[in-house]
Parts: sequence; C-alpha cells; structure tokens
Amino acid sequence: MKPEDLLQHLSPNPVQKCTLGCPILDRFLGGGIPCNSITELVAESGCGKTQISLQLLLSAQLPTSLGGLSASSLYLFSESPFPLRRLHQLSSSFPTLHNPMDNILTHPLHSAHHLFDVLSQIDSLLLSRPTSFPPIKLIVIDSIAALFRFEFENNARDLKQRSGLFFKISSKLKEQARRFGLAVVVINQVVDVIDDSDSLRIGSSTCLYTSQRKVSAALGLSWANCVNTRLFLSRNEERVADEDCFTATRTRRFIRVVFAPHLPDSSCEFVITREKVFGLER
Amino acid sequence: MRILNSFIRKKKKNHLEEQYRIYKYQIGTNFERENPQMEVSSLPISASLRAKLISAGYSSLSSLLSASCSDLARDLKISENEAIGILRVASQRKGSERSNGTSSIVNGAQTAWDMLNEEESLGRITTSCSELDDILGGGISCKEVTEIGGVPGIGKTQLGIQLAVNVQIPMDYGGLQGKAIYIDTEGSFMVERALQIAEACLEDMQEYHGFLKKDLQACQLNRKPEDFLENIFYFRVCSYTEQIAVVNYLDKFISEHKDVKVVIIDSITFHFRQDFDDMALRTRLLGGMALKLMKLAKKYTLAVVLLNQVTTKYIEGSYQLTLALGDSWSHACTNRVILYWNGNERYAYIDKSPSIRSASAQYSVTGRGIRSSVSNCKRVKMMSRVRIMEADTNACIKLDCLYHTPWDAAFPRTRMNV
Repeated sequence: MKPEDLLQHLSPNPVQKCTLGCPILDRFLGGGIPCNSITELVAESGCGKTQISLQLLLSAQLPTSLGGLSASSLYLFSESPFPLRRLHQLSSSFPTLHNPMDNILTHPLHSAHHLFDVLSQIDSLLLSRPTSFPPIKLIVIDSIAALFRFEFENNARDLKQRSGLFFKISSKLKEQARRFGLAVVVINQVVDVIDDSDSLRIGSSTCLYTSQRKVSAALGLSWANCVNTRLFLSRNEERVADEDCFTATRTRRFIRVVFAPHLPDSSCEFVITREKVFGLER
Repeated sequence: MRILNSFIRKKKKNHLEEQYRIYKYQIGTNFERENPQMEVSSLPISASLRAKLISAGYSSLSSLLSASCSDLARDLKISENEAIGILRVASQRKGSERSNGTSSIVNGAQTAWDMLNEEESLGRITTSCSELDDILGGGISCKEVTEIGGVPGIGKTQLGIQLAVNVQIPMDYGGLQGKAIYIDTEGSFMVERALQIAEACLEDMQEYHGFLKKDLQACQLNRKPEDFLENIFYFRVCSYTEQIAVVNYLDKFISEHKDVKVVIIDSITFHFRQDFDDMALRTRLLGGMALKLMKLAKKYTLAVVLLNQVTTKYIEGSYQLTLALGDSWSHACTNRVILYWNGNERYAYIDKSPSIRSASAQYSVTGRGIRSSVSNCKRVKMMSRVRIMEADTNACIKLDCLYHTPWDAAFPRTRMNV
C-alpha cells in the first residue's frame, strides 16, 4: 500500500444511495441512505427505527435501476428476538423480490466488544462472493446504544475506555463502508434531557422533542463524532376531534435531519402501516 | 518577528504620509523601468478593492500616480489605510526585483519590513462569509496552519469543502487560482455537496463579472461545476498509519503539483481518538505531523486547514467543552478557530492567533455553502456588532478565569449523556 494509492479521482456522479422503498422519503434524503458512510437513526422506542431498517433490508435487494443496491444485507441485533414476522409482513410489499428472506443475514450481538470482534471477522464474508446470495452492501446495527449502555460505569476511566471503543468500532465500520461500498445504518436510542441549561447542542435544533419529552441522542458527544449523518425520528400524539365531537388520538411521526454533510436541516412526516413505511407529501 | 510586525503596524499608522511619498516614488521609478502595460487587475488585492479601483477608472498603475492617497480613498470610498495598502501592494509588485536585491545583503535574511510586505501581499482564501473573512483578516491565510473545531453538525466539513472550492477562484476574481488537497479521514466529503457549492461559487463569479462590465471580457467564464472537482486532490484515509503516510507523502506530491494552495484535513482527530495505549506515542505522532504540515505551509506558500472535533474534559468537578487531542496539541497550530452555537446562530471565534485579535463573527450554512448570516440588513448587522463587542468584553474581563470565552458562555457546563 502506497500513499499515492489513497488518492481518488472524484467522479461528478453523486455517491450511490440505497432507496428506502418510498419515493418521498428518498427525495427527503437526496436519494436514500448513502454508501461509503455511516447513517444513524436516533429515536425513542416505538418510533419506527426498526421498521425503517427492516424495510431497508428489503429495498437494498432491489435492482440499482429501482434505487436499490441489488445486494444482500447483514442485520446485527442486540435487542429482543429478531422481528422475523414483521419482516415477512413487510416483504409482501416487495413482490418483485424472489425469496427476499434468503438474502438477509442476521447475527446476534452480546456486547460492544463482541460487535468489534464480529466486524473484524466479516471482512472475508464481505470480500468473497458466494454464489448462493448477492454481495453484502448494507449493514444494520440495531442497536448500538443497547450494547454500550449497560457495559460501562459512569466514571472517568470507563467513559474514556468507552469512547475509545466508539472510535474503534466507527473506524472499522467506515473502513469497511469505504472498501466495499457499504451503506451502514446504526440505530441509537435517546436519553431524556432533564436540565435544559445542561444540554449541549448538536446539530440542527436546540432540543429534540418526542412524545412531549425533551430528549437527546444516547452515547453523548464522542459517539456523535463517529457518525456521518444523524437522522432523528419522533412521534407525537395529537388529539383530533371527529364529526361526533369524540376526541381521539392520532400518532404523527416525523423524520428529521440533525446533521448530514449533504443534506439541509429539514423534516418529513412518515406513516407506518401494516404493509410498509412511507413518507407523506408536505 | 510577529511582535515586530505588530510594532511596525503601529509605527506605520504614524507615518502614513511619509510612506505614501515613498510608495509614490517607487511606483514612479519602477513603473517607467518595467512593464508599462501592467494593469491593476493583476494586483494581489481583494476582489472588492480591485472592482472599486476599476470602476473608479484606475485601470492602469500610471493612473494611480495621478491621485494622492486621500484622493484615492475618496474616489474609492475606502479608508486612507486601505488606500495606502493599495499603493504599497502596487509598489511592492513593481519593486520585487529591487527588494530581493536589498534583502540578500545578509544571505537568507529578510528585514521585518520585507516580511510585512510579503505577509500582506500573500493571498488569502475567502470563506464566502464576509464577517468571517473580516475577523480572519481577509480569509484563511497562506503559509499558516489554521485549526477549526466545533461540535458535530456545526459546519466544519461544509467550511472545508467551501475552502477547497474557493481556493480555485481565478486571480481575475481576487482568488488564488490554486488547487486543493482534501484528506478525508471521516468519509464526510460528499461530491454532490461539493458540486452545489461550486455551482454557487460560479454564480457569484458571474455576478461579479457582470459588475465589472466589459473590463474583464477577456476572461470568459466557461467553467462548469464539475471542473472544480478536477482540482481537488482527494485522499481517503482509513487509519492513522495511512494518515501519517499521506502527510509524509505530501511534500513529494506538492512538489509535482506546485499550484496546490490549500491542504485540508477533515478531520485531523478521528483516527487518533481510538484507544491509544501509549499516549506519549500519540503526542509524538501528532507533534511530528503538525511540524511537517507547518513546513509544507511555509515551503510552498499554502494554507493548511485542520478540522478538529470537540470533546468534554473533566475540570474541577465538571465536564467542560474543549477541542480534542489534548493540551500539547493546542500549541501545534498557528491559528485556532472555534465554531459554536449561540442560540440558533452559528458563530466562529478566534481562540488563538499571533497576528489577529480575538473576535467572533456570525456565519450561516446555506444551500449555496458558507455565507453571511441571512439577517444582513444594516440594523441587525449593527446589533450583532454590539453583541460581538459584548462578547469581546466578556473575554477580556474574565481572562483570569481559565476557560471563559464566549464559546464557553454558550455551554457553561456539560453533562455526559450516559
């Protein structure tokens, strides 16, 4: 390896993107989830992070002409059993895919160190082109926060170790993203912001609101330095009065750009139905 | 030498008229002797001044002779200091051969006066935000290492891409007409964003072209945004060993590409924050890299821009925000600029510089790239001036308090989110 080999010609074509399976969400994201970098989805539970990432596992298999990567994907999960039934349900809205479940690889994660070990081992998997399934172009980690939240104590030594591990994992992911042209999606949780004056502003808005709570992304400032794009999903219950003056609640969900090198600060409403996740025109 | 420079600056103010006589003399004598067709459009002065010169009818150097410095200031609606500046640049341009002769009396030595002249004639790379340019003394300066740090999403990468584009602005438009080296350690450089910024830059140049009317008809703008990408040498590095290797290789690379005028590393930090068991090794590696970059900046007269992250530091029982890589690194760069949020506005703060005073300025990140803040009408501008003055006073009053800058005032205490 010579340093001159690291010089790359910049092609005027935008970087390859992976569709989310919905034209409105794709337009919002400038084409989809970008390859060669890490995209983070931040949300409280029940906002649809897993839903969006499951749909991504399917849409990544679409041919490039339809905005997909015509590729398999790897789903690394730490929380709960793998949501197989939901994935199956969503796959019904991708009728063109032939046996989509065959092209999704899954692997459970036990700890942050385990994640790093797994990442170090998959190089050969990413490199080799087994004939049984297309090459892997999408890695989803669900969720990074769960791995870190219980393993480390809240003292200076552990925090330092923890942030060192953040950068190690992120560096490995970015290297693989770059080498193999992968789209990497990591899912993160939120923490409540108790004292406003305490919180550090990261990204487009002073505070993030979801379910009338003020939150910020988990794992703090160090981890925020490790991702290229941060997207925030929120949900809010709204009271709506119907014709009979009965009030009902309706859940509205939004996806918003917190920071991204290629996207302006903006947001987009989306809906989760039984069949799929899709964006709403403004 | 810097102290000497600032001393000379003070002295200079006291002798405006005397200097003016010298410049006028130099323009007169050198002008006859050398190229009489020399146009003011080739003078290394800011684009706006050049435009003012041309629109006021000073198209040739000889026409500069016919006006006194106060005439010039009045015609161009600029300060006498600026008028003096133009005359000095003109005389320095003409007298470059002469000054080489005098300074070689002691081999390799330069008089402080020559250094001052050289420094002020050096090109600067505009940030496309006039307020930010103002506090930087005209833009990012060549021959120096400038570190720019801030929280994720504040616009570090945006500024990096903007500089990689702006360095290519042709001389006729007040730019350096150089090329850029972009060393990407984080993978945040997006071609589509670079194209957007290049397109906006071209539009601005076209507008400027229209402003100058027919004077610059010769240099037609037939560039496309894609052409800007051709002049960005993009290195993607995935580990700290690669980063060091590329920095070591730069000397050879730039000697083959002499028109490189800026080296941007986005970010210097990323690969050095993984757990380094040997922190002394990290300090040595970083120090060595900083030294090499500083040498490059001097040797090839180019600007080095290092983007840095912020981190929390445990000081006296609370976590406070500081630029990453530790205390020894903070000495490595000539200039240090911190980007921070103040309410909903983005601000830049000169944290450290040997030649320019601490100040802060508002900027914004738009679809077209880095620009002045939207609130550009005069009243708001004045308000923000007042705010900056307040910020300055804060910084002055609380100098004894270690970390009290306007930046810290924005985030007094930071809690770790666990």
